[in-house]
Amino acid sequence: MTGPWVRDRHEVVRVAGREPSRIRGDTGTGEMPRLHLVGPDSYADWEAIYRDNVERVYRLMFRRVGNRSDAEDLTTEVFLAALGPLRTSASVGEVRAYLLTTARSVLAGHWRRTFGQQITTIDGDRFEDVLSEAPVNDAAAVRADRILAALPDRYRRILQLRFLEACTVKEAAEEMGITVGNAKVLQHRALREAAAVNERLAP
Amino acid sequence: MNTRRLRRYVEDLLRGRRPRPFPADERQAAEVRAAIALRAARPGGGAPHEDFVAALHRRLATEFGTAAPSPATRPPTRRRVVQVASVAAAAAAVGGAGGAALDHALTGTGAGTDAGTGPGVTLRPNSGTWHTVAASTDLAEGTVLAFDAGTLNGFVERTGGRLSAVSGVCTHLGCRLRLNATATELDCPCHNAAFALGGELLRHQLPTAPAPLPHIAVREVDGAVQVFLP
Repeated sequence: MTGPWVRDRHEVVRVAGREPSRIRGDTGTGEMPRLHLVGPDSYADWEAIYRDNVERVYRLMFRRVGNRSDAEDLTTEVFLAALGPLRTSASVGEVRAYLLTTARSVLAGHWRRTFGQQITTIDGDRFEDVLSEAPVNDAAAVRADRILAALPDRYRRILQLRFLEACTVKEAAEEMGITVGNAKVLQHRALREAAAVNERLAP
Repeated sequence: MNTRRLRRYVEDLLRGRRPRPFPADERQAAEVRAAIALRAARPGGGAPHEDFVAALHRRLATEFGTAAPSPATRPPTRRRVVQVASVAAAAAAVGGAGGAALDHALTGTGAGTDAGTGPGVTLRPNSGTWHTVAASTDLAEGTVLAFDAGTLNGFVERTGGRLSAVSGVCTHLGCRLRLNATATELDCPCHNAAFALGGELLRHQLPTAPAPLPHIAVREVDGAVQVFLP
């Protein structure tokens, strides 16, 4: 685990240029992020890459699929796809740019397979911008707040109870003093309205 | 019908189960998107489980744990896939019984294969024969040749001592691909999609990424390069 991990700028450049078919995902641009992030920092081995980034990648995926099973599968797919081609020296910035490109492509493949359309995407060209959202779940919370803030009170309340506070429909109904049937209908209507709000918000 | 499936999808999200996809129209897709946005904001929900992090670490260690992973543990690469394709297709041609094995070998990787980054499936005609498309001497190491066999056209390449062949038709709308000036990728003249010689999608400007190019089984017999075609 020592040999290939020598820090060598020329190696980074060569690898970035030589393996376009693996580095490029369907980003629409086809451009590997350039070397502006190359610095003195690089990872010691694949384990260092994994430990430093697994939570970021998972959170990135979780925010876009909303469930643990899919987020775990997609995180697995990202590292299996990315670590092979990354088996050379590369700066932290290079590694993260590559993980981001891979994640974008993996997520796109997931939605293509399941829904035949892109339900969610990973936007942003720089890993630091996109993945810095990840360690704290602030971005997801901010987004949810913006959606909820635009809804009528009862719509907001039912969605808060069910999505954010993990209430069952029965618990939510009791909390709001309505029947279970009414709570279901209310939730359906509220989600439809939330979708309309969400589509109007900028990505 | 699909309204019920949408409700079930949302309910699965809320209960932390793996949701089941369904054919969603635009409005339903927007609801799925909103449900994900709200569910992802649940406090404490976004962190990976320790069990998962440990399990994935173990799995990666078996794949990448040594300085030079053996070919057997490396994730499927283009060359390995092609190698399998050639052997299995030859078996199919000889015995007629290798077809199932081929199908399994080439589609069994599941998740990654139909993403733009993964290798494409291999074309397996119901009744095919081997067609000579070039003399071995015409296909030196590192070269690429276009072929047109009537029913199919494509490109065959020799790299790293192995042969590989892909379809020469864009998976978007069927325009004929052309080899770029440096013989490193296949460009679509219609919508600027580009594929690697291994079939992987390199880039595109379409709303949905086109599938990778199908592989075509290829072999070398008695100084002739042959592809398996209908």
